[in-house]
Amino acid sequence: MSKTIKPFHKALLAAAISAALPITGFAATDLEILKQEVAQLKNDIKDAKEWRNQNSLMHMAGYANVGYVSNDNPAMEDSFVGGTFAPIFHYQFRDQVMLESELEISTAEDGSTTVAMEYLTIDWIINDNMVLVAGQFLSPIGNFRQNLHPSWINKLPSAAPGFGHDGAAPVSDIGFQLRGGFHLGGMKANYAVYMGNGPEIKAEIAPDAGNSEVIDEIEYDGIEAEAFGADADGEKVFGGRFGILPIPSLEIGVSFISGKATVTSYEGDEFTGSNPSLDGIAASTYDVAGMDVSWRNKSFDVRYEYIKSEVGDTNIGGFDLATTEWSTWYGQVAYKIPSTKFEAVLRYADFDSPHGSKDQQQTMVGLNYLVTNNFIAKLGFESNDNPNAGQKAYDRALVQLAYGF
Amino acid sequence: MKLNNKNLILSSLAALGLALSASAAIAADYPEKGNFVKGAKAWADNCVRCHNLRDAKELRDDQWITTVFHMRVRGGLTGQETRDILTFLQQSN
Repeated sequence: MSKTIKPFHKALLAAAISAALPITGFAATDLEILKQEVAQLKNDIKDAKEWRNQNSLMHMAGYANVGYVSNDNPAMEDSFVGGTFAPIFHYQFRDQVMLESELEISTAEDGSTTVAMEYLTIDWIINDNMVLVAGQFLSPIGNFRQNLHPSWINKLPSAAPGFGHDGAAPVSDIGFQLRGGFHLGGMKANYAVYMGNGPEIKAEIAPDAGNSEVIDEIEYDGIEAEAFGADADGEKVFGGRFGILPIPSLEIGVSFISGKATVTSYEGDEFTGSNPSLDGIAASTYDVAGMDVSWRNKSFDVRYEYIKSEVGDTNIGGFDLATTEWSTWYGQVAYKIPSTKFEAVLRYADFDSPHGSKDQQQTMVGLNYLVTNNFIAKLGFESNDNPNAGQKAYDRALVQLAYGF
Repeated sequence: MKLNNKNLILSSLAALGLALSASAAIAADYPEKGNFVKGAKAWADNCVRCHNLRDAKELRDDQWITTVFHMRVRGGLTGQETRDILTFLQQSN
């Protein structure tokens, strides 16, 4: 039945179209172009159909940077640096839940490729003022680590001393957070509170001056405040940040962490004897306090951030480890030169460590060219100084191309 | 030749209809629409707290959804600010 009707319908339709449209004026080339366009349109429709269900969305964002580093350290050569590729994957189901993950992929000095998990969280949108963030997250302490560290956002080609993977400011943790924002009178406020596995502590053994196999003293070496997939001491930490914006251009934040952390490893190779056992040692108190301020107008962007981390006393193998603190701060002014794509930046930072060799006072100047708002060419010069007698910090010049996508 | 042209026109019209229906189908029905004007202000006030402003035309509507929700979590935006900013960006791209 249908075999006999279909040709009839086609003929009828063809006759109708032929009467209605001035088709005979088509040139052969026009016809070919039209055929190609129709073929393309069919493909577009096919592609669109494959993604018709919009309940789930997937998107990749992220950033990358490459550059060149020159320094006055005679033990280090100037180098092109492969930089970092940091893709951020978003997978979202409606407005209820989002999976976020950032990887940091870079080329090491020996040519190998390193891959690190910056964060991996499942964000449950609970209501208009609260999101549950569970998994491995960037530390919400302060502002730089959680919001400003991506290279296309950071206005200088390096992090201030103590704010990178090297010092006083915690980097990440594994646990859960509650985050959100709300209006407070005529002001805006935001918050983040979390519980996590917390950091681990490294200790250093100082050998006796006359015998490297004999312990003279044991002291804290550093805080490893990057996310640990297991809690070595079972001691959790609790912390967060509260930010308030009295006016939209001014934000003031205060941060804290409270909890306990335990020495889990030793650093250094000067001591050649047997390390005292770390089994059963008492956990130390671990407290962090921070403050950050940012202000901006059309051309200026001004930031200040301070963080102090303190580890309380303990005892290892009969040796007392005294309460120790690390602190760092920076102040930064960026000025976007009107009617140009240039931006000038000045930053001063002071990192204090219990180990004089790691102390650093840094003045950094930078000049940026904003090719676009998310593609920035940066030139920076670090003047580094260690204020302790006999210690040296080396200056550096850095060139960086940073692209956010 | 005439018959071919007719088929071509028919195919074009059919394809156009399908394309329109497909594009309608891929428009997400969430979150609920916000306020365009408030969104423009919230976009200008909040995004520059950390980074340079991004052009609304850089991303498609669906890409803006994931991007703005990411920024909601990161920047401590309220749900209403999120919807307002998203409406502004989706209507400006």
